[in-house]
Amino acid sequence: MSAVAAKPQAGGAINPTAMAVGVVMLLIILGLCWYVSPGAGLMALVGVIVGGVLIGFGTHFVPVGGAPAAMGQAPGIATGVAMLAAGAGLAGLFGGAWAAEQGLLVATITGGVGGGLMMAITCMMVNFVYVFGMGIPAASGKVLNDPITGDSQKEFKSQGTEGHGLPFVSFVGGVIGGFLGGAGGTIIYLELLGLYETTLPATMNMLPAQVMPIAVAAAGIFAVGLFLVNAVLTAYNITGTIEGPHDPKFKRWPRAIVASAVASALCGFMAILIVAI
Amino acid sequence: MSVKIEVIEGGIPHQKIMIGGLVGTLVCLYLTYLNVLTNTEMFAFFGGLAMIIALIWGSHTIKVLCSYGIGTGVPSAGMIAFGSGVIAMLLDTKFGMAAPIVATVLAAVIGFILGYISNNILNMKIPAMVQALTEMAIVGALSLMGFAALITGGFTFAGLTTGEVSMLGLSISSTANSFIGGALIAVAFLLGAIAIQHPFNATLGPGWKQDRMLMLTAECGFLSMIAAAFMSFALISMEAAIISLVIAIIGWAYTYNQYICLSKRDAAAWLDAKPIPDVEGH
Repeated sequence: MSAVAAKPQAGGAINPTAMAVGVVMLLIILGLCWYVSPGAGLMALVGVIVGGVLIGFGTHFVPVGGAPAAMGQAPGIATGVAMLAAGAGLAGLFGGAWAAEQGLLVATITGGVGGGLMMAITCMMVNFVYVFGMGIPAASGKVLNDPITGDSQKEFKSQGTEGHGLPFVSFVGGVIGGFLGGAGGTIIYLELLGLYETTLPATMNMLPAQVMPIAVAAAGIFAVGLFLVNAVLTAYNITGTIEGPHDPKFKRWPRAIVASAVASALCGFMAILIVAI
Repeated sequence: MSVKIEVIEGGIPHQKIMIGGLVGTLVCLYLTYLNVLTNTEMFAFFGGLAMIIALIWGSHTIKVLCSYGIGTGVPSAGMIAFGSGVIAMLLDTKFGMAAPIVATVLAAVIGFILGYISNNILNMKIPAMVQALTEMAIVGALSLMGFAALITGGFTFAGLTTGEVSMLGLSISSTANSFIGGALIAVAFLLGAIAIQHPFNATLGPGWKQDRMLMLTAECGFLSMIAAAFMSFALISMEAAIISLVIAIIGWAYTYNQYICLSKRDAAAWLDAKPIPDVEGH
């Protein structure tokens, strides 16, 4: 049988030793960054870590159904965690980059709205297809009543399935997840863009206007790379499907926070080294 | 915890593919250095070959990792390979001649830490995880460097960030007309990321055969190389770009034919259906 269909039994347990090692690694990387580039570099790295953690945390809200959802046997959007997180985050990143000149706050919110909007449209169209195309109602398999509307779920759930469609709470979770992911991606992009704009002219002996394409493209591709790393690590944390914030798997988020922080710090440090050495 | 479901039956062992892939990629990357020695751009196509060798190695690594059900789908493995690889690759371009070696070491460090994070902090507990993520970060970095060498003829930071624009007979230096400044790296990123994850995703299952998957990887690699060779017309001389394009098209046609032959070999039955049937008597 296909290996991909089989789900690993990676539990929700937290490994305290590994978490401690992760925090120590994070501090070591921050120290290295302070040593290499104490001012602008360290600030940029902190921004990158905040952005990465937002992506990692936000992805847990997104209702991911995977292959079972494509057959109407599990709630959520019928694709993988990495694809959904990347879709929402990149949509947000493009929105945020467009507003980059309006300042950090406006651009971050714009990025968040872009990501949230993308997820809202996706969730709505998914429910359209489920309800009008496949003829199945939205019902959660993990809770008896929808935590937001209080609607009863059990009567609408088909036997032998884990629920189907996108209940209201999953929809809201998707929009929140898209918002956090888009905002996180935008913060990473803006921090790196600001760093490159100020430091690249000196390192490359060029005018600020000349390095602009390099700064934008390098910050953009670093943001995409960081985004995918964080999204896939979160996917590994969730292992398969999640319904949204009411799913028991949501409680695994502390692991993802540490993992995203260390991974973002490591990758962000590399992105800062390119102008620091 | 997790059960390994598919085992590698027959075929070349993974260690051999790994060593061969690493050595072959590095040799091909350094062969593009002939460009500097001979002061031409004719040897840019070696970058494309380096990229294809790295992808073949990488797709087999994905097979090793995804044989343990990781529960997230095969494409995510390709995405993390290039996500971590692009970060190592961009930093390494600063090291000039030593770039491919430094890329290997730095990507290995990034991949190893990411592997530790997923195996221990995220509690995946998959035996092949650390090694597979380490290998995939190296594959991502080296194949992006191969794309860079194919498109620009070199892999140094200066070469990747500056290009020349001819305007009214004048040639001026421009950062926008370059591999990084023109964001060609984003296209290369996805050309590689799709080519690395597609082969195992398409051939997995009980009828999986190693040679068929690796041939499909080579086919995807040459297909990406055709697209990259078209992009290289903007940055390197016409002759060098045509050499890359011809090699890519010949390689693609050969590997595509081979892949179809292998598919026919492994298929239960084969029917050569025509797109539009001849309807008689109407």
